[in-house]
Amino acid sequence: MIFPFESLVAEHRELGLVVETLIGFGFGFTLERAGFGRAQKLAAQFYGTDLTVFKVMFSSIVTAMVGLVVVSGLGLADFKAVADSATSSTFLWPMIVGGLALGVGFIVSGYCPGTSWVAMASGKLDGLATVAGVVVGQVLYAEVEWRAFLKAFHNSGNLGNLYLWELLHLPPRTGPAVVALAVAAMAVGCFLGAEKLEKVLASRADPAAQANPAGRPGRAVFAGFATAALLGAVLLALPTGIQAKSREAASVSQLELARRVLDEPWKVRVIDMRDMKECAARRIPGAECVPVDKLASIRLAEASPSRDVILVGPADVASVPPAAAGYPGRLYVLAGGFKGWEAFALTQPVPPAPGAPPAEMEEYRLRAGLNSAMTGMKAAPPPPPPTAAPAGPRKGGGGGCGG
Amino acid sequence: MERNPDKFWNPYLAGVALGLVLLTAFLVMGKGLGASNASLRLGVTAIGAVAPNHVASTPPLAKTHSDGHPLDNWLVFEVLGVLLGGFVGAYTSGRLKKEILKGPHIGNGARIALALTGGVLMGAAARMSRGCTSGQALTGGALQSVGAWAFMLSVFAGGYAMAWFVRREWR
Repeated sequence: MIFPFESLVAEHRELGLVVETLIGFGFGFTLERAGFGRAQKLAAQFYGTDLTVFKVMFSSIVTAMVGLVVVSGLGLADFKAVADSATSSTFLWPMIVGGLALGVGFIVSGYCPGTSWVAMASGKLDGLATVAGVVVGQVLYAEVEWRAFLKAFHNSGNLGNLYLWELLHLPPRTGPAVVALAVAAMAVGCFLGAEKLEKVLASRADPAAQANPAGRPGRAVFAGFATAALLGAVLLALPTGIQAKSREAASVSQLELARRVLDEPWKVRVIDMRDMKECAARRIPGAECVPVDKLASIRLAEASPSRDVILVGPADVASVPPAAAGYPGRLYVLAGGFKGWEAFALTQPVPPAPGAPPAEMEEYRLRAGLNSAMTGMKAAPPPPPPTAAPAGPRKGGGGGCGG
Repeated sequence: MERNPDKFWNPYLAGVALGLVLLTAFLVMGKGLGASNASLRLGVTAIGAVAPNHVASTPPLAKTHSDGHPLDNWLVFEVLGVLLGGFVGAYTSGRLKKEILKGPHIGNGARIALALTGGVLMGAAARMSRGCTSGQALTGGALQSVGAWAFMLSVFAGGYAMAWFVRREWR
């Protein structure tokens, strides 16, 4: 990965600040040229006569989103890493209320905070007033946001860094691309609708309201977005495409699981998908109780792949739930589910008859040990005396030091 | 370059240009764009000049000192760039002019008062939602953040809901 250049926020911080100034220059210049320094043009968005705000915002979002998906697809950046560093956590309720309030402030002042800077820079006194207002509003809210009466609301609905592709249960590798293509397709549809709406409303409204028709360059942008969306759809439809296939998981036998749970519990993560109540009553040692409808909440897709995940259902798990399919590590299902496990591990094994083959003896010993471990019984009946069993291949020597 | 103050870029091309600026910010700096946090830093600087103890005892204000001076921050430099870019854009297009922008049926005083009121409301709102239309809607929207999309839809909802009440300001 090449991007982003970490050093610009660390050892070359001064250079980074220069770069930020240049980026800001591009931001301000583009906003000015789009007409965002003019309050009437921004306000017209909310009267339907000039939808420039919507067109500019939506096409810039699509451009940056698709651009980052492509650069990430080439392995030069990581969409999620950039998103984690550049976005804030989702605080759902304050964001919705803040959005509504900001929208009201937008139509009252005629600017949003960013465009008010541009308006001020181009000599607009109302822009200056808005800039001053934003400074006051920011400080006023910062004064109270940590106080007891507001703190609970200010931090409510905290969902962490949550992204659209996670909301749609798409895998983290391909999710951003799928969402970007859907958004690009949606944008083209919305743009065509916006052009129609403008035409209808502008002919009714005063002739002074001047919309910016799409024209040839606009149609080129539509075509570009539509091509990106189509191309992605074709790629996804191909059998070798990046589409998230429903995942097949190997099954693990009860004996194998028992061995692993007892011998190397740090290497497995057993997830019991049964009802919380049943799971709470009886479960495989070390199992997490995660009912199948809650499976998305433990975010398996982002979990570390170091442990093998073993899914346990009431009976055989027919198909891997989508919330678990994104797990990057190895994924197994327990053969026979918990029912099979109960029959295997929680019932007292019958001791084999004296003289049984060693394999059978061995299994009995394991199952007896397992049963005692699982049921909390003190000890399984002792194995039959060793004389009864035919001797296996003898090991040479007695202890570790013998020759 | 011809200087026609009423001539703007094609909105879609302007959008693509803005998107490329945003993409550059993502790739080079690993950050997005932002506009409202610089305002807080300006305010804290002003308060700090008269009441430094108050700033130190208010955690959200004190936090702006984490890099040293509150103005020593990338968001402040970015807004400095926005001001320069806006100035150059306005100058080269003939839109650089001291004036008050408003609809035909409202006085200058009322317009300035409304601009200030709307600004205060937006300042508080942007703080509440952890970013404004730049830092939240554009940046978070492009990065597919769920909160950013909820915020963006709410902004449009709030604007449309209020538009009828302030129509005399613009129409």
